[in-house]
Amino acid sequence: MMWLLWVVADLTRSARRLPHRESADPAADAEAVARLAGGDPEALADIYDRHARLVYSLAFRIVGSQDEAEEVVQDVFVQAWKQAAKFDRARGAVVAWLLMMTRSRAIDRLRANRGLPTAGEISEVPDPADPSFGPEVRTLTAEQLAKVHAAIQALPLVQRITIELAYYEGLTHLEIAERLEQPLGTVKTRIRLGLMKVRDAVLETGA
Amino acid sequence: MNGADQEHNEELASLVALNIATVAERSEHAQAIVAAPDLARLTGELRQTVLAFAQAIPLLDPPGYVRERILKAIGARVRAAIAPDGAGVSARPWLMAAAVLLAAGLTAALSTLFYRGQVADLRDGLARANDRAAAAEREVVDIRRTLGLAEERSRVMMSQAAVLMAPDMARIDLGGQAPVAPSSFARAFWSRNRGMVFAAEKLPATPVNKVYQLWVITAGQPPISAGLLAPDQQGSVTAFFSTPPDIPAPVALAVTLEPAGGVPAPTGEKYLVGLTGL
Repeated sequence: MMWLLWVVADLTRSARRLPHRESADPAADAEAVARLAGGDPEALADIYDRHARLVYSLAFRIVGSQDEAEEVVQDVFVQAWKQAAKFDRARGAVVAWLLMMTRSRAIDRLRANRGLPTAGEISEVPDPADPSFGPEVRTLTAEQLAKVHAAIQALPLVQRITIELAYYEGLTHLEIAERLEQPLGTVKTRIRLGLMKVRDAVLETGA
Repeated sequence: MNGADQEHNEELASLVALNIATVAERSEHAQAIVAAPDLARLTGELRQTVLAFAQAIPLLDPPGYVRERILKAIGARVRAAIAPDGAGVSARPWLMAAAVLLAAGLTAALSTLFYRGQVADLRDGLARANDRAAAAEREVVDIRRTLGLAEERSRVMMSQAAVLMAPDMARIDLGGQAPVAPSSFARAFWSRNRGMVFAAEKLPATPVNKVYQLWVITAGQPPISAGLLAPDQQGSVTAFFSTPPDIPAPVALAVTLEPAGGVPAPTGEKYLVGLTGL
C-alpha cells in the first residue's frame, strides 16, 4: 500500500537577518542617566531615542503582543526614571541595565498571563545598586554580535531550545524539564554546555 | 577542584546568569564564590553571554505614540513633584476680588487671540492624529507580518524539539559519498509519533535546475520521497518532516541530486547515505 504521506514543513533554516544596531555610546548614556537623576525629563527622551527599539524588540520577543510590549516599554522607562539616582556608571552599561529590566518585566507579564508565579527569584527587577549587576556587563558591537549570533545558531538544537525557554519564556529549569519531558539534570547540563559555548564565542570577540 | 566540582560550579553560574536559579542555588553559588574566586569571573562572563541573547533578536520599531505616552507620564510626575502645595496662602477678600476683576479683563482682552490659537492647535492636533493613525496602520501590517513569521518559526522549532525529546527518537547518521560529496555529512532524528528532523552540512552547491531530494528506504518498498532540501551558501540545511505514525520503520536514508521540483523515484547520484539500524 502506498503511504507517501510525507509533508514537507520547512526546508530552510530560519531567517538569520541581523538587524541594524544603533551605535552604542556608553558615555552619552551615562551622562543622560545622570541628568535624569537630576530631574531632567529631556534626558529620558535621549535615553528612549537611543534604546527604545532594542527594549521594545526584546519585550515583543518575550510577550508576543504589541500592546503588552508597549506596556513593558513604559514600565521599563518609568523604572529607569525612578532608579536613575542609584545608577552607577562603573557598574555597567545603561543598555544592559535597561535590557535586564525589560526581560524581568516582560517575563513577569508572560508568567502572569499563563497563571505562573511571578514573585521571587525569577522575576526580580535588577536594581542598579545590586552587586550582582556587575561591571562586566557590556553591550556588543555589531561585528561582535554577528559572531555571537552565529555561535548561538550553531548550538545543538536541544541546547539552544533549552536556553531560549529559560531566557525568552522565563521558565525555570524545573519547568523546562517538565515541558521537554527530560530529567532536571539533563536540562541543567544542556543549559551549561550551551551557555559555555556561546561564552567562548563572546570571549573570542574580545567583549 | 575536580572536574565534577568545576562542572557543578559552571552549572550554578549558568543558572544565576539566566536568573532562573532557586534561592538554594543562589545561596550555594554565593558560598562557592568564596571558595573559588574564579567563579565570580565566570558568572560575569555568562551574564555578558546572556545579554548577547537579548541583542541577538530582530529589531522592531515601537509605535511613535509610545514615546509620547511615556514622556507625558514622566513629565506629569515631575510637575507633580515640584508643584507648590499652596499651604500658607491666605489672600484677603478684597485682594481676591481684585484678582477676579483683573482676570476677567484679561480674559476679555485675550479671548480673540486665545480662540485663534485654539483653532490652530486643534488643526495641528488633527493633522498629528491623522499622521499617527496612518503610521499605526502601517505598524499593524508590519507587526502582523512579523508575528506570522515568528509563529511559523516557533511552530517549526517546537515540532523539532518534540522530535528530539521523543522517548522513541532514533538517530541516523549519513555519510557523504565519494566522489561527489566526500566531506558532506548529515544526521536525522526520527520519531514514529512526532516526525523527523534532518540536518546536513557541507553539501556542494546545487547546479542550476537541480535540487537535493531526501529519500526514505524501507524493506521491500521503493524509496519514498521525504522532500526537497535547500542548503544555504555554506551547504547547511535543517528541515522538519511530519510523518504518519503507521509507516514501516525506515532501514536507510539517502540524499540524491535530482531535477528541480523533485522526482517520484530517485534518478540522480547519491550524495549522502545512512543506515538506520532500526
